[in-house]
Amino acid sequence: MERLNPRVRLVWAVGALVTALVLGGIVAGIALFADTSDFPWFTPLYGVAVFLLVGAIGVVFAVLRYRVFRFEVREDTLFLQRGVITRVRTVVPYVRVQHVDTQRGPLERLVGLSSVVVYTAGSRGADVSIPGLTPERADELQASLRELAIESEPEDAV
Amino acid sequence: MKLHPFSVPYRVVDRGVRFGWAAVIGVAATSGGTFAEFWPFVLVGAVALAVLVLAYQYAYYQRFSYELAGDTLDIDSGVLSRREREIPLRRVQNVDVTRNVLQRALGIATLSVETAGGGSTEAKLECVSAEEAERLQTEIRRLKAGETADTEGEDMGDVLYELDDRSLLAYSFLSFDARVASGLAVLFPLLGPVIATLGFSDAASGLGAALLVFVVGVGALAVLLALWIASAAIRFVRFYGFRLRREGDDLRYERGLLKRYTGTIPLDKLQSVSLTENVLMRRVGYATLAVETAGYAPGDTPSGGSEAAVPFAPREDALALARTLEPFNEVAVERPPRRARRRYIGRYGILAGIVTASAFAASTLWGLPYWWISLLLFPVAVAGGHYRWLHLGHAEGDEYAVTRGGFWSRSTTVVPYYRLQTVIESQSVFQRRWGLASVVYDTAGSRRLTGGDATAHDIEEETARSLVERAVNRLRATLGRQ
Repeated sequence: MERLNPRVRLVWAVGALVTALVLGGIVAGIALFADTSDFPWFTPLYGVAVFLLVGAIGVVFAVLRYRVFRFEVREDTLFLQRGVITRVRTVVPYVRVQHVDTQRGPLERLVGLSSVVVYTAGSRGADVSIPGLTPERADELQASLRELAIESEPEDAV
Repeated sequence: MKLHPFSVPYRVVDRGVRFGWAAVIGVAATSGGTFAEFWPFVLVGAVALAVLVLAYQYAYYQRFSYELAGDTLDIDSGVLSRREREIPLRRVQNVDVTRNVLQRALGIATLSVETAGGGSTEAKLECVSAEEAERLQTEIRRLKAGETADTEGEDMGDVLYELDDRSLLAYSFLSFDARVASGLAVLFPLLGPVIATLGFSDAASGLGAALLVFVVGVGALAVLLALWIASAAIRFVRFYGFRLRREGDDLRYERGLLKRYTGTIPLDKLQSVSLTENVLMRRVGYATLAVETAGYAPGDTPSGGSEAAVPFAPREDALALARTLEPFNEVAVERPPRRARRRYIGRYGILAGIVTASAFAASTLWGLPYWWISLLLFPVAVAGGHYRWLHLGHAEGDEYAVTRGGFWSRSTTVVPYYRLQTVIESQSVFQRRWGLASVVYDTAGSRRLTGGDATAHDIEEETARSLVERAVNRLRATLGRQ
């Protein structure tokens, strides 16, 4: 079983903190600029509290997500395990792979990581994505998945 | 080949009605009383628009050409940006012909061609003559199957199933079209003020309260009855004259009272077969048979979300027909372990608890009468948990996986292993506590809104894991054999 690059925790944590910042900012903004004379206890400090709470949950989730996430390139299938609250294990036969993408978001580029997304014709199309790979590993994975998919194609994929 | 000349007036009227309705509402909503001052401008605008639409539709007709050449359907179209398409017939999934009342009067029809992948209908010929639509439908099927045009003889295949008037009536009243319930949303703005004026605290004592309960009860019953009749009417109109035929490798159906639909269902692209029976239909032993292909996008089917191969037939007949499409054997459907039932009862019990607590809070704060009625929800929760468990199930055949679920509308889905795209095992926190897991058999099918994926809910953890393993192995085995 292969695990993700530990730096992916940073990507997820920063993403969560940005969300927390926006939410906290909205709450603080309401406290500052809206008419809150009916609720004198409502101060911008609540914005800070929201930021801290949402941020802390996000960071914990990022760590847990990293711990759970595993994948394996098996002989005929790609195996993937993920999910903190609902644990999901996906098995993708190479015969069913339609195409393979590598993606790099701005945050991922900053810490030098990359994701691989595997598409099938199934109704859960782009459900299979492997984040937190070094660009070399991502390219290698994409190439080997492509090879395996071509190798194992006997007929129509639908 | 070009479209039928009548498609110009038809498209103008069709677009005009659609756009005109929106415009009327828009103008009425925005201008209000001042409309009287603006009417000359509005009239000039409307005339200009009509001329523009007419010119555009004429150009569309002039520019549109199609040809069935060898093994592709070639379409050149577009007024402002030109588009040339070649659709390989091998990739065609469904070919549908629809004719609404206006089209039937003009003797024309719309032909839609679906392929797998892509969000919407791949090609739409709007409109060709009715005979031409029929010809294209047959030709596409022939060319797909690699036959030549002169292998005549079986132009009309065997009728597999026909919905007679009595069955149609029974089906209309026994099945419920959930889309009708969305009509309720229209009622809320009307009923809201009425309910608000009734007031709870004034009526809390004596005769007033009894009257309130009575009025609310009768009102709710009347609304339900109206919805039921509306749903029955819609079903009746949609499925009038349903007939299913087999033509080579395709199923071909026709139906509809006002708007006629004819469609082909390619059996070689069949993803899964499912048998659906709602509570009422189970009572009388009838079922709906639906087949799933990869052609349609979710909620975007030209035939209106219905790929029902057989809308209403005795359970045995539906099952027998399903077997001619996919020769699956009888397998014993197994229920989830008993602790799954405790899980559902607990889940519904928590919901009932939340409602009761809110009702109690509302009674102490705002004097909501009869909060204790909500205590009745607890026995309902127990019954609900039991019935959910009772109708769930899965079975593992040698070539097919079977999943079953749903109390109000129970679906039994048969998925051939060789159609699997991915196999997913999922386990929520609660399921982990009970040592249970669910397995999803994902295919390239398209019925995502109604039926959902074929899922074996809440089976033993270890069983789930080995099930995934075996399903993938069987997929490989069947692929190697073909």
